[in-house]
Amino acid sequence: MSLSIAGMSWVTPLGSGVDDVWQQLVAGEAAPVEILENEKNGARYLVRRVPSSTPFPSHPRLRRASAISRFAAAAGLTALRQAKQPLPPLDRIALVFAISNGGVIYTRRFYADIVKSGAQSASPLLFPETVFNAPASHLAAILGISGASYTVVGDGAVGILALKLAEDLIASSDLDACLVVAAEEIDPLVCEAYRQWRFLRDPKKPETGRGMIMSEGAGAVLLERSNGGSEIDQIVPGANFFRRSEASARLGSVVARLENEIGFCIGSANGTFIDRAERVAVGDEIPLYSPKIALGESVGASVFWQLITAAKALETGTVPGSSKPPVNSHALVLACGLNQQTGGLTLRGRDRSAFPGSA
Amino acid sequence: MKSEEQNTRRVAIVAGGIVSPLGFGLTETLQSLQQGRDCVTPVTTFSVEKTRCKTAAQIDDGRLLSNANRRRQERRLHRASYMVMTALAELLEHAPDFEPEIAIVGTTSGGMSFGENFYRTLGNGGACSAALIANYPPQKQIVDAMEKFGINAPAQVIANACASGTNAIGHAFNAIRTGRYRRILAGGYDALSELVFVGFDSLQAATPEKCRPFDSNRSGMVLGEGAALFALEEFESARRRGAEILGEIIGYGISTDNHHLTQPNPDGSGPRRAMEQALAQAELKPNQVGYINAHGTATVLNDTAEGKAIMELFGEVPVSSTKSMMGHSLGAAGAIEAVVSLLALQHQFLPPNINFRQAELSLNIVANQPRDAQFDCAVSNSFGFGGTNATIVLRKLAR
Repeated sequence: MSLSIAGMSWVTPLGSGVDDVWQQLVAGEAAPVEILENEKNGARYLVRRVPSSTPFPSHPRLRRASAISRFAAAAGLTALRQAKQPLPPLDRIALVFAISNGGVIYTRRFYADIVKSGAQSASPLLFPETVFNAPASHLAAILGISGASYTVVGDGAVGILALKLAEDLIASSDLDACLVVAAEEIDPLVCEAYRQWRFLRDPKKPETGRGMIMSEGAGAVLLERSNGGSEIDQIVPGANFFRRSEASARLGSVVARLENEIGFCIGSANGTFIDRAERVAVGDEIPLYSPKIALGESVGASVFWQLITAAKALETGTVPGSSKPPVNSHALVLACGLNQQTGGLTLRGRDRSAFPGSA
Repeated sequence: MKSEEQNTRRVAIVAGGIVSPLGFGLTETLQSLQQGRDCVTPVTTFSVEKTRCKTAAQIDDGRLLSNANRRRQERRLHRASYMVMTALAELLEHAPDFEPEIAIVGTTSGGMSFGENFYRTLGNGGACSAALIANYPPQKQIVDAMEKFGINAPAQVIANACASGTNAIGHAFNAIRTGRYRRILAGGYDALSELVFVGFDSLQAATPEKCRPFDSNRSGMVLGEGAALFALEEFESARRRGAEILGEIIGYGISTDNHHLTQPNPDGSGPRRAMEQALAQAELKPNQVGYINAHGTATVLNDTAEGKAIMELFGEVPVSSTKSMMGHSLGAAGAIEAVVSLLALQHQFLPPNINFRQAELSLNIVANQPRDAQFDCAVSNSFGFGGTNATIVLRKLAR
């Protein structure tokens, strides 16, 4: 079934307005890179962070919440506000949340207290925030969503699986719309895991382009049943790969199942084995752009940044760093995680003036 | 496709697999339930010197790992992966031709203890193997288990805290019911970890005593662990190919209680909405339900809210919390308790709520001993942090 995008929003290291960030991407700008240091072992990581000037909503639920919940709240609320049609009643809107690393800042702090001072020092205030669905719970409370709420976990392709779940929910007659949100926050512990896994860019050789730069933020889309507007045509969660050499074949299978004529691809290349796997999967003829080059690798949130980039590319007829897509073409959003998961979707544009997020 | 047509598909359970403190497989699980076995033992895998609670219901590693260590790659996997493999092996033994289009499973913490090892190693100035890091994420356990048995389906992993397993089965049920899929592998898994154990202890939600759900002197939960899976298939498809049908899922309800991140609204409205939805979808009246497998964590707040909702909606329908025997296995709990409910339906008995001494509410608790019963439908509840409430309704297959 096709899904209409009724609203969309993102919180990124380049800012948080859809059009503002889009203009920067088209201009070839990239978010500033900072150095994050690990107090445990002195390791240094290149990171792209959400600007400290970013406005976040105020709500009692967010008083003690971690950055990930603030990012999610900002993106989710803005996506809802963008809807041009009146929203369905809240009990007919579901919330689906995609996440990979989750509330890692509080998780690290909570466990650090246990290791350092013993179990009796563990904070009952921190523990609830370590649970994967804490950001979704805060957002549901802020919005007043009291029906279905799901948090989906996975690797960098988790966004596709979350969007598929949303599609399945909307297919039932019980719901009219689904707010799909994804968010991540940066912490040295996660950076160290990716460093030891040999996926991070060497801070001494940032110019090589090899290895990924971690980032943080959120993305959100409000999906409704097809109304003839801008639409996600197909969502295909792909098969898993067990060796990196299998990734291109799995992605190729996803592309083959997405039946529409594809004009360009917004991919998930991040400086790792994914770059080559995606290029092999889509072939040399199709323009391929990854917003991770400019925004960094936000893992769970990344598919939503790709989806919004694809929607803006269709709306404006421009793919950053590439030639214009063919008229009436479909955009392919392809996702390959670092840890086995793959997926993709196709997006079809609509009349530019009616497109959500346009000025 | 018209919505009326979408909503007419029946959903069959064609196979199941389980490992929990109650035992390995359906047969051992049934025996433990019928014996009312208390599986809670002292925790041995990490220090509990400074926690109030010192016990949990645990799966014996010697047995769990005995069949799974042959390949080098498997030796590196988390014990949660072995749990999923054990459950999947049993399921496929009964349904070797089952080829799911997707796996929809629940978990809360995946390979959490590997994350703990990573943090401790880092603190000691060491470096971890990439395998430890790669095997930590919560989707890894189901993906690896499927790989072992040659299944390569996408894995949709739901992390709705303690309701995850029921949400996974419920969503899978709806996805088949509405014609989106024909065959889904659904269930949940979680393994005990220090971080989660200490977390519940810090909230004073875990008890240093026996776990006594719905007892007026209940003092909290004990944790458990395990994995359970169902092979769900569109009913007519299963019948046409001659599959053995163990039972049906016939209703699912989900609600979100925005009262508090960890505390249910004491009026029980969140659980009640989930149960009402599930009954409505199943087209059942409350008195047509013969057994309720309650979430029943034995915390003061959960049992008060859930008990109130059950009392108001179901009245005298028999209720038990089997967590009294096997602890609370978080993301696995809903899946394990769905299997428990199916076994109760198949064998026409009511599993007991052990350690029960004194009633607080006017619930019809199946106290301490199993009961024989004749009934067609059972309800299984799961509620979790974040205010997630989930209920499924299972039906015995008419002979």
